[in-house]
Amino acid sequence: MPAAVGEAAAKTAVKRKRHENGDIIKKRTKSDANAHDKDGNLKARIEKLETEVQESKKHYNNIATLVELARKHGTDAKAALLASEALCRIFIRLLAAGNLVKRKDVSEKEATVTSWLRDRLADCRGALLSMFQSKKLASSALMLAMALLKAEAQHLSDREEAVFPRYFFSDIVASLLESPIGQLREQFSEKFVDEYHDIRFYTFEAIRTYLTEREDAVDEDIQITVFDMLISIENVPESSEDLTDFYIEPPQKKKHPLRSLSQHKKQAQQAWLALMHLGLSKEQRKKVLDVMAASIAPWFTQPELLMDFLTDCYNSGGSISLLALSGVFYLIQERNLDYPEFYTKLYSLLDADILHSKYRSRFFRLLDTFLGSSHLPAVLVASFIKRLARLALNAPPSAIVVIVPWFYNLFKRHPLTTFMMHRVPRTKEERDLLESEGLEDPFLPDERDPMETRAIDSCLWEIVQLQSHYHPNVATIAKIISEQFTKQAYSLEDFLDHSYGSLIEAEMTKEVKKPPVVEYMIPKRIFTKAGPVPEENDSLLVNLWDFGSS
Amino acid sequence: MAGSQLKRLKASLREQGIIGPQKSKKQKRQNAEEQKARPDKRLQRGEALASIREQFNPFQFKTNARGPKFEVTTNKPTNDRAAMAIKGRPGLAKAMGEERRRQTLLVEMQRRNKVGGLIDRRFGEDDANLSLEDKMIERYTREQQRAHKKSSMFDLEDDEPMGGLTHMGRPLFDGDEDEAPVKDDFDGEELPSGDESDSSRAERRRLKRQRLEGAAGEQEEENGQPERKKTKKEIYEEVIAKSKLYKYERQAAKEEDNELRAELDQAMPELQALLFQRQKPPSKDEKPAETAMVITGKDKAAVDKEYDIRVKQLAADKRAQPAERTKTEEEKAEEESKRLKELEEKRLKRMRGEMDEEDEEEDEQEEGKSKGGKGAADGDAYDPFQTEEVDEFGLGKGVKYRPTATELGFDDEDDFLIDDDLVASGSDLELESDDMEGEESDEEGAGSQFGSDDDEFVKGILTEAVIKDPVFQTDDNAKGDDEHGIPYTFPCPQSHDDMLKILEGIDVTKTPVAVQRIRALYHPKLDSKNKERLAKFSQVLVQHIAYLGDRFEPHWFPTLESLSRHVHSLAKSFPIEVAKAYRTHIQEMEQERPLALTVGDLVILTAIGATFPTSDHFHQVVTPAMLAIARYLGQKIPQGLCDYATGTYLSILALQYQQFSKRYVPELMNFCLNTLCSLAPEKPQEKLGFFPVHEPAPGIRIRGADKTTIRQLNCSDCQQKQSLSPEDGVSLKVAIASTITAILKAATETWHKLSAFHETFHPALLVLQHLTFKPNSTHLPAALTSKLIGTISTIARLLQLARLFRRPLELHHHRPLAIRTYVPKFEDSFDPDKHYDPDRERAELAKLKAEHKRERKGALRELRKDAAFMQRENLRIKKERDAAYEKKYKRLVAEIQGEEGRAANEYAREKEARKRKAAKGR
Repeated sequence: MPAAVGEAAAKTAVKRKRHENGDIIKKRTKSDANAHDKDGNLKARIEKLETEVQESKKHYNNIATLVELARKHGTDAKAALLASEALCRIFIRLLAAGNLVKRKDVSEKEATVTSWLRDRLADCRGALLSMFQSKKLASSALMLAMALLKAEAQHLSDREEAVFPRYFFSDIVASLLESPIGQLREQFSEKFVDEYHDIRFYTFEAIRTYLTEREDAVDEDIQITVFDMLISIENVPESSEDLTDFYIEPPQKKKHPLRSLSQHKKQAQQAWLALMHLGLSKEQRKKVLDVMAASIAPWFTQPELLMDFLTDCYNSGGSISLLALSGVFYLIQERNLDYPEFYTKLYSLLDADILHSKYRSRFFRLLDTFLGSSHLPAVLVASFIKRLARLALNAPPSAIVVIVPWFYNLFKRHPLTTFMMHRVPRTKEERDLLESEGLEDPFLPDERDPMETRAIDSCLWEIVQLQSHYHPNVATIAKIISEQFTKQAYSLEDFLDHSYGSLIEAEMTKEVKKPPVVEYMIPKRIFTKAGPVPEENDSLLVNLWDFGSS
Repeated sequence: MAGSQLKRLKASLREQGIIGPQKSKKQKRQNAEEQKARPDKRLQRGEALASIREQFNPFQFKTNARGPKFEVTTNKPTNDRAAMAIKGRPGLAKAMGEERRRQTLLVEMQRRNKVGGLIDRRFGEDDANLSLEDKMIERYTREQQRAHKKSSMFDLEDDEPMGGLTHMGRPLFDGDEDEAPVKDDFDGEELPSGDESDSSRAERRRLKRQRLEGAAGEQEEENGQPERKKTKKEIYEEVIAKSKLYKYERQAAKEEDNELRAELDQAMPELQALLFQRQKPPSKDEKPAETAMVITGKDKAAVDKEYDIRVKQLAADKRAQPAERTKTEEEKAEEESKRLKELEEKRLKRMRGEMDEEDEEEDEQEEGKSKGGKGAADGDAYDPFQTEEVDEFGLGKGVKYRPTATELGFDDEDDFLIDDDLVASGSDLELESDDMEGEESDEEGAGSQFGSDDDEFVKGILTEAVIKDPVFQTDDNAKGDDEHGIPYTFPCPQSHDDMLKILEGIDVTKTPVAVQRIRALYHPKLDSKNKERLAKFSQVLVQHIAYLGDRFEPHWFPTLESLSRHVHSLAKSFPIEVAKAYRTHIQEMEQERPLALTVGDLVILTAIGATFPTSDHFHQVVTPAMLAIARYLGQKIPQGLCDYATGTYLSILALQYQQFSKRYVPELMNFCLNTLCSLAPEKPQEKLGFFPVHEPAPGIRIRGADKTTIRQLNCSDCQQKQSLSPEDGVSLKVAIASTITAILKAATETWHKLSAFHETFHPALLVLQHLTFKPNSTHLPAALTSKLIGTISTIARLLQLARLFRRPLELHHHRPLAIRTYVPKFEDSFDPDKHYDPDRERAELAKLKAEHKRERKGALRELRKDAAFMQRENLRIKKERDAAYEKKYKRLVAEIQGEEGRAANEYAREKEARKRKAAKGR
């Protein structure tokens, strides 16, 4: 039965090719009649060769001819394709018939034939794999190779159960990785890796062996393709019961690694580790960190192995730190990682660029989680508030819009910090001092330890200033801290994903229904300088800019 | 009243005066005379009889057997208490029902299974004597009469409606009005009244009266002061009487006036003479003669004629209208200043983001509507669990790369339609537009005080003569050109391509002239369509400004200024259109080149700042424009000097936008400080503040500019240049640095009142100081350094001041919030019959259901009664038939018997005769 399936797969590939050929032929004009004839001849010839092999063992030499044809895909792609299709069909049939199984009880002559056939099979594989390099043939070659793989697994050995042909498969994966065609890998991931759990398992294995074998020889491109491929493998299985979809039926043994979740994970982990051992570029590191918590760490049976990588990244500063944060958090959460001075580090992440970074919303989601505990010391929370308020003075509106509701939530959670909004001088001395000397901000902006910044003694003048922000909605949001705190909490998600573009968009989608107010006085001068009339003052623009009138 | 029925009957008859002791002859005569005076005596008698009859029939009323259950006080009139006690009149109701059935159901029954037809009730249809015309005329008059009768029933002003008001066919006010006052409404009861053909109603009324009388009697006994509630009829009659009285009074007054007038007429000649003598000085020769003639009154006819003519003249004279008092200069100035003050106040209001009450109400209504689903009347009290609208702050939907919770269907916050205006709107636009119209009319009036109004723009062209000139009314007629080669007439451009076509061959600097002419030619006063055309034209003009800005030449700026002012002036008439044009431009700009603004964009942004009030809390055009500016300043990472120059221009513009309202623009600080850091000859060693620093592209830092003179930036600096000569580059860099310094200085002055001024400008101080330090200052021209130092000292001084005036925040001096109460709501005037269902729909449904049930029951009862009636009728008919049959049968039997008897008799007689004959024969 599986043989039939394999054959069917091969046939569909063939059919598709034929169909395409037909299309091409149709498109051709009659001036190409010769070529047409040639194609016809070729096709007829290959078919003839194929049928002859089927008919009797005498014509086994035709296989060699076909292999030759298939190898020459660089010169005659069509012939190579037809030949390889024919070869696949032949081999699938032969395999099904058991002609390639080495048996001890056969005559020497037959054993020779068998080994000869096996060699030809190897040749055929080689031809198929080399086709991965060609843009035209790669996709069908992949299908053929996989069909052949299946047939081999089932019939190459004389055992009852199918044996996964690892070497052939790792060759396939290696050729895939080396192939310049990205679509091919996509096709592979889509049709096989995502579909069949055993293929995924062996893919991880193949990638690991590939990387470990040529540790030094792996160049940048391969690294990227491996990375992309690994990234594209998603859907971490939840339990061993989920492992049901197999391309090739695994042995019935309960303990077989294919049936164990931890083995799957282990393979994936090893593949990832092998990749990471190669040393990642900054961009790659960003990418890895980006998907760390979501799709890499779950593959790891021992996420502790990622610890060094993550802490290194976290300590390196900049956007890498930001990205590593979620990975570190994953470890803290799942693996009880003890990260000394975590909050100090977190505090140091709040630098001038954080509110302008494109990972802002991601960071805020995490920050909200980290500062979500009501057991944190108020001094620490106050430091974070004050530091962000300082940053808000130079922040885009979309960031201010997040910060202020978040402050609100923190104030609600840590009532001690509300002194930052409302601090009435108690004694007369205090008041006199204020009258005579004013007030220096007690906050120490350069202090690294959030417990020592004295932010709790300070006030949020910054947010009060933002209440007169140029954008009306931002100003209104900033006003929430000076109104009564009647709301339980603001949902941060409502404020996170804004940008200049979305704000302008929001303004622009409003229809102009009411006539807008027009300045009642038409200004005398816009671009030109005022004359010698004394009461007219030049606008700032005219003063500072040269419009060619002076 | 004890005693037998008979005794009681007698007593009551006596009480009513129907029977009594025998009267003497004298008494009888007296009675008869009285009866003549009061013709209704007999009627009263009949009524009394009927009431007595009713009193003695205990089955006539259905009452509470034991009287009212509880003694209650109500606001219903006390004399209705008797009426309240009577629950129904079964006999009466039954009779009525029976009667009605007889009229309807019985007729139907009788007509059943019979072929029917129409009864032609039209007038004179069967009358052969009448001609067609006569018939028609008669019908028409009848119809008219019918209609008239209805309309003039209560027409008080009608002179003689139907020959005077009547009641029950009798005139209300006869000649002897004073003798017969308004009659009691029940007097005419026994007269046949048109609408009350069935006696039952009359009966009921009679009963009512009786009761009333009884009650009144009781009351009289109690307090001796009867206070009967007036019936509707009485009230109407009173009203009618009053109106008649007033009418009569009016007539009398008129008559009096007439008399007086006649008297005056008599005295007219004398008066006139006096008047004319007073008016005309005696020096004139004609008039004295005339007056003398008048005085003497010799030629009567001539005088009359003269008088008539004068009267006619007076009538024909235009009536004097009260003219607006000419205002003095002070008054005008005062008014103007008042107007300006008002406008300024409005501006301040908008700046604070306060809405007008009307708007607010509207918004609240909208909010109410959108919240309608919630339904709960939670008032102002705060509900902590009430979910807030998602877009409470009008931020829009945010960046769309993740599906929001709502989209995933987690919560139903869709219920709250986003009311963007909750926060963001709040401009008193409607009021404004009214004002604007007012202004408009002012302008159109006697030319307003601003030289900058409409008149200025169309001045010199739109004269009376020109308007009348047919040449100006037609579009393509006679294209005369003036000395600059600009035609006098243009088609009104409706698209920018049109505009370009029209302006082809006209020098750009002369464009305002063309625009002025177009505006004059298509002045809305001239044609009704011009308003539309000009609205389009104003949009085209905005496009043209951007177009010219993109291809600018330095000497075009006066032109652009003039065009902007034209747009501004047009915006007063077409605010929506102009705003839309600007918004379209901003939108296009933001979608296509948010970080690569052209000079045209800069000019448009400047024009927006000049046209619309930039101080408003929210403005449909200014807010997006400001966002666009901020976006460039905040997001652009400058690559070349032109980017820095553009940013500098936008910084100036942003600052100018906020000149009045003094709102803070973080992006401006970021850009200025970053630019200064980038231009600084040396990179600062440590961080100077929390603003983001972008490493400048190579060749941006100022090197060796110590000899360069400072120039001003101009628009050509904003354009991408292929190559700048090193000198030009350095001079441009120095210009940018110097301008930025100036901007920072202006910014300190604008924002020095802000609460975090110290935090905001301390980095600026550091950056400026960094520029003046040794390794940097050697590269900079001395003039710039001195400018920097000046700015530093200003900032330092203001920072010191800010520190001195800083106080701890005290934001929360709020009134403590009341704890929400959960006391149940009590109804002050609770009525158990009423339903207090807070769910309105449910209450209405219950009401409908109850009504349906009642109706159903009623209908069932009616049907049952109908069936009984039919049964009864059928039985009656059957009985009649049977009786008839019986009668006939009996008659026949009797007939036969009679005949038989006769025959038997005859036989017997014959027999007897034969016997006798036989006996004789024997």
